[in-house]
Amino acid sequence: MTFTDVSRAETLDDASAAFVMDEDAFRAFYERTARGVWAYLARVTGDRQLADDLLQETFYRFLRAAATHDSEAHRRNSLYRIATNLARDARRRSLIRAPFSVSCDDIERVPSSEHGGAAERMADFTRAMSHLKPRERAMLWLAYAEGASHREIADVLGLRPGSLKPMLFRARRRLAALLGRAPDGGKR
Amino acid sequence: MKPVECEFESEVLAATLQSRWPERVDADLRAHVVTCAICSDVVAIGGAFDNARERMRTSVTLPDSGRVWWLAQLRARREAAEAAGRPITAAQVIAFACAVGLLGACFGATSKWFQSALGWVGSSVAGVDMKAVLPSAAALVAGHGVLLIAAAAVLFVVPTAVYLALGRE
Repeated sequence: MTFTDVSRAETLDDASAAFVMDEDAFRAFYERTARGVWAYLARVTGDRQLADDLLQETFYRFLRAAATHDSEAHRRNSLYRIATNLARDARRRSLIRAPFSVSCDDIERVPSSEHGGAAERMADFTRAMSHLKPRERAMLWLAYAEGASHREIADVLGLRPGSLKPMLFRARRRLAALLGRAPDGGKR
Repeated sequence: MKPVECEFESEVLAATLQSRWPERVDADLRAHVVTCAICSDVVAIGGAFDNARERMRTSVTLPDSGRVWWLAQLRARREAAEAAGRPITAAQVIAFACAVGLLGACFGATSKWFQSALGWVGSSVAGVDMKAVLPSAAALVAGHGVLLIAAAAVLFVVPTAVYLALGRE
């Protein structure tokens, strides 16, 4: 065995040891978070296929980041921050290659057993979301689907907590207007 | 200044997500929502997000966690091997460049043909009258300026385009 072989073998061992958690811990964390992260990616990018790819990349980068987290919430924030950055990069690449458009019809797969009302409301929601900017979609999804606090959303999206509130307010107003619903659930 | 948050917002959102809105909430809260733009927006979108989240979470088939772990391991090993190989490749390139330079220096120092050619080039350059060359060069640029600019642009644009295309790959 040459010095080069020894060096490579040591590097390979280091690569395995560089992950922030062992397999059991990772699998448990993945089971807890993957569905939420996938839904977030699919909603922000507007593309199920892309969300599949970015999900794997998100967890890989999370493992390779070798960062220590003091709580489960902190760990989740790191994961969503990585996902946000990947979605943003993917969007930039799409802007260079072709105009980015949200393929609304592909985000939700409506079961054939489901009848008109619910499916139609979901299509309306998806269409309304597609009219928002990616960052607005991200902040609304984190706030109202993931139940994240303002501080957590600001951390994930790289914004100042102070500037998040008015941005969230405007995004919510826009979406509510696009949905055109009154508080009692009926159409305005 | 227009308010951007309301103290009842979280309460209204919880009622919406727990399907308590509008029947199973206080009359006071219902009355507040009618007059509060923020809370009425929360009611309008809260249920839609809840439905969308449930639907998306249940409709997706995710890769198995063991498979994701295994692929991550493989990729980390491959990247580590590439990273370990990179300094060796760089050292090999430097060594090759040094060897070529040394060979060239030996050839230049020992070859009479090379030295005589070098002497001829030196005397030719020394014999050129720059005052005579400059006006003809200026005339050439004036006559074929557009062509020269186009050639320079192509020389710059083509490598840049190739670099960007390969970079994106």
